[in-house]
Amino acid sequence: MLDKGEHPHFDHLIDLTKGEINRSIFSDPDIYQRELKQIFARCWLFLGHTSQLPNENDFFTAYMGEDPVIVTRHSDGQIGAFLNMCRHRGNRVCRADSGNQRMFTCPFHGWTFANNGNLKTVPGYKQVYHEKLDMESHGLVPVAQIDTYKGMIFATFDVSAPSLEDYLGDMAWYLDMAIDRRDGGIEFLPGTHKWRINCNWKFPVDNFVGDSYHGPVSHGSAWESGFEGMPRRKKGYGYEGFQINAGGGHGFGARWAENEEQVYEMALPEFLAYEQERFPETHARLGDLRGMHLSPMHCSIFPNFSMLWQSGNMRVWHPRGVSETEGWSWCFVDKKADPDHRDMVRIHDLQRHGTSGTWEQDDVDNWVQSTLSSRGYVGRQFTQNISMGVEHEIEDPTTIHPDMRGRVAGFQNEINQRQLYAQWARMMNGDAPVVPGATA
Amino acid sequence: MKDDINLWFSINQFYTREARYLDDLEFDQWIGLMAPDLRYWMPIVSNRIGRGIGSELTERGHLAHFEDDFESMSNRVKRLATGRAWAETPPGRTNHMVSNVEVTGQDDAGVHVTSKFLIYRSHMETDQEVFSGTRKDVLRSDQETEWKIADRTIILDHAVLTQKSLGIFF
Repeated sequence: MLDKGEHPHFDHLIDLTKGEINRSIFSDPDIYQRELKQIFARCWLFLGHTSQLPNENDFFTAYMGEDPVIVTRHSDGQIGAFLNMCRHRGNRVCRADSGNQRMFTCPFHGWTFANNGNLKTVPGYKQVYHEKLDMESHGLVPVAQIDTYKGMIFATFDVSAPSLEDYLGDMAWYLDMAIDRRDGGIEFLPGTHKWRINCNWKFPVDNFVGDSYHGPVSHGSAWESGFEGMPRRKKGYGYEGFQINAGGGHGFGARWAENEEQVYEMALPEFLAYEQERFPETHARLGDLRGMHLSPMHCSIFPNFSMLWQSGNMRVWHPRGVSETEGWSWCFVDKKADPDHRDMVRIHDLQRHGTSGTWEQDDVDNWVQSTLSSRGYVGRQFTQNISMGVEHEIEDPTTIHPDMRGRVAGFQNEINQRQLYAQWARMMNGDAPVVPGATA
Repeated sequence: MKDDINLWFSINQFYTREARYLDDLEFDQWIGLMAPDLRYWMPIVSNRIGRGIGSELTERGHLAHFEDDFESMSNRVKRLATGRAWAETPPGRTNHMVSNVEVTGQDDAGVHVTSKFLIYRSHMETDQEVFSGTRKDVLRSDQETEWKIADRTIILDHAVLTQKSLGIFF
């Protein structure tokens, strides 16, 4: 299936006009290997939040694709990210998920690195290396670029990647609806759900970027058993909501409130008092469109970050082979939120999303089954359908509201999935990443 | 009291019955073993080294795998009965093994009991999951069901869950 020539092209796997994609992108091991290079080594990937590194010398470990990294706050306050790989035999120099350390000593032979990546000591430097080892060029491999957007830490291994600001584009402006509603922004609660799913990593990203269609069927059982999870929608509200594509494969879906009163009518009962408390501040910070009209629900930022705004939930989908994914899920709250509200967000989130989530459980099996069906030869001869509303984009989104950015379609429309796979093909077709200092 | 063999036997019998309710999908019976003021909590374990040793578990107020009360656990049970809880459609086949039962104390809250569990789950065709860990319970004696579970802390050993979800009960 994959053209193994020098310049393979991936456009033929994605037909945006018909809304069809070739299922081999979920099962072909060659395509997966190319994704690690063209997507996970080139894109800006979400690592975590600055609130996870409150003190000097704090660190946590993360992944960029299948590459393990350590994210550190150096004693000078700088946040850095480095391959968690000793430059000698490649052993992980840090086996903890988080902690506070100035130095990382490799458990294999004892090479010791500072938390800014510098190689500090090598046992037997004089006696067995005869002072010939270039310490300076054997530090932990740093990411090519690291940056934050309002506390969100992203990094890329590609020195030729655009700036984070350009990479996020209009998505950063929309992201403010999650992370900048109140003065002080957000913070992550301690604790990360981590779990393995036998699915291709793109299925959950697809699900979160634009699939408002599966809710009533996949999540009907949770909804009717007392685990309501989304804005309460009433008849006669005007717009049902929108799928908004911010470009670059980033997109989200949002309900629409006509006025302040409807914001409260749509709020889940446990969040109503807090919505009323924060509305004036949010409205003043974000304006009518972002601070009142849009009630965002689901979102993905290319390639593997997803979010559920209402539930205070952010996650990444780490690839673990062509048919395995590791979900990492966090709960976030406004920094200004009082203890009672924090409790409510946390409990709302974990009872619906993440490992024991009454919503999440049912999603997971869908992704597993969809991945399985892409493995059979015959099944792959039939395209996957993402055609919903293919000719029903809203021509001029500014007619909805003058501030509206990006490409917009109705709430039930697979525009965001089509743009996700279009971006996938662009990245797969593009230049190889430039990893600075690579020696292989 | 701690070394009372009748107490120990009674609690063992209770845990065996509880496990049978879960394995036989008799969830209404199972929820009937919970006290109305139930606290059901499964913190998250992570890998720590050096000075971090001892702080592997998330605390109250942090994110957890489960942080439920009687109402939300009842709702989780209700969800399974809808016929549209797809992660359990068809239902998984489990064996809950409970052992190393130790009465660790008794106070106004009830009898404090620590036990180990090993749960095997087979799902669909070849999906298989193993859950291992520790339970710390506070049990309250009850006329109808002999004991009621008032507080259960579940410490699952896995830092990265190899299970696709936590759709079963512990």
